Amino acid sequence: MLSSSLPTTPAALQSELQRIEEEARTLLRVSTSRAIIAQTPKQVIWTLNKARLYRYIPVVPAEQRHKVPLFLVFALMNRPYILDLRPGNSFIEYMVKQGYDVYLLDWGEPGPEDEGMKFDDYVLDYLPRAIRKLKAVSGSDEFSMLGWCIGAILTTIYAALRPDDGLTNLLLLTAPLDFTDKTSGGFVRWVNDQHFDPDKIVDALGNIPGQMIDYGAKALKPVENYIGSYLTLWDNLDNPRNVESWHAMNTWVTDLIPMAGATYLQLIKELYRENRLIQGKMIIRGERVDLSRIRANLLNVIALADHISPPCQSESIMTKVSSQDQLLLKVKGGHIGMMAGSGAMKYTWPHIDSWLAARSD
Amino acid sequence: MGKQQETSTEPETTNPLDPFNTLNTMRDASLQTMYSMRDASLQAWSKLMIDLVNSEAYSQATSQWLDSYLTLSQPFQRVIETTMTQALTRLNMPVRTEVTSLAERLTNVEMRLDDLDAKLDDIQRAIQALAASIHAAGTSAEAKEIH
Repeated sequence: MLSSSLPTTPAALQSELQRIEEEARTLLRVSTSRAIIAQTPKQVIWTLNKARLYRYIPVVPAEQRHKVPLFLVFALMNRPYILDLRPGNSFIEYMVKQGYDVYLLDWGEPGPEDEGMKFDDYVLDYLPRAIRKLKAVSGSDEFSMLGWCIGAILTTIYAALRPDDGLTNLLLLTAPLDFTDKTSGGFVRWVNDQHFDPDKIVDALGNIPGQMIDYGAKALKPVENYIGSYLTLWDNLDNPRNVESWHAMNTWVTDLIPMAGATYLQLIKELYRENRLIQGKMIIRGERVDLSRIRANLLNVIALADHISPPCQSESIMTKVSSQDQLLLKVKGGHIGMMAGSGAMKYTWPHIDSWLAARSD
Repeated sequence: MGKQQETSTEPETTNPLDPFNTLNTMRDASLQTMYSMRDASLQAWSKLMIDLVNSEAYSQATSQWLDSYLTLSQPFQRVIETTMTQALTRLNMPVRTEVTSLAERLTNVEMRLDDLDAKLDDIQRAIQALAASIHAAGTSAEAKEIH
């Protein structure tokens, strides 16, 4: 923010004042406006309630493209455009350029009428329908599915319940699946407190407001999230690349959506508290979720500095599935930074691509 | 064309008597110290806060605070909801539950449409397969006749 030398002439002083003014404008702009995000060309091919399925326009000729389409499933409580943040920093753009036929499921924003929606509905009503459309459009009976965070829970459940539906490759990113360790990470501690009453919260609020979930995520690292992030911006105001990157990320971070009340209850009670999924005790619409039924090739990506889904919550699935071809990949970065940070293009995306490319033709 | 630009390789000369040079040096040094101190204190503060939010005491305090907030706010919320429902009913307007139930019905209709779409896709595929097999049978029959 401060220049390297003091202005010693009127011209230098004027230039310094101009620079300060410009930086003040930049600060105002990025802190009060939304960045232009999600610019990779796409088309909506299916909708149901608030959910949308996008197909990204391929840029690689059909004969050079991978045969197996890639289906992306993001979490429920954030916008999925983190996967397509901005040109040059977009996982989707990267994968489209690598020759994949990419599809993204956007869950949308649940309204009061969706308060009763559970994992059961997302997994058995929405995912199969979206997959059917994906198969019809792509012309392929096989597909790869990538789930990130809560999206990884949904895809794991789906893979276990419908192992014969054409799922060839299952990719899990920062998947919170095993809550055996009740001391790892703030979330597990908080929701296991005897005074924490999820029923009361849902009863009072219906859907869980995005702000509340956001507070929970930010409170895990309060100094970094409430102060550090803004100091980083302040220190880099003279670097347009960093400023635009911060702006795009801030746009995503502040674009909050609520979580359906019934899903929240299931997440807290059946997963965080009772740890039913990894123990094979979770019941989805009468069907037991047996992880050993998962036979698809499995890539499990863990972020080493993940404070939201600590590595111990993601690792144990490797021993529960029947997949013969499986890989546990540990990468640098945090829960989001791993896929959308400045190092993602170097440390994460190429690994995902090389693993998937070998299994997509 | 082809003329190369000449660039000076001489180091910038500084005037030893220029008071601003000394000021700049002092300022840079103090800025560096300030930044280092800031980063170090933030790091320490961050560690402290992470330990705090991961403590039992913090979990208990936030849970209790949330519980109290919900307990206190719920009666007011219920009064507002009841009043709003009464007001809307008197104005002959749909109330919240009616709107949400309509939205649920729309979603159900969408699902039925999606099921129909799936069936139509199946029928289309079956017709295409049938047409292809008839075409193949016709072609082989023609080939037999020629022979």
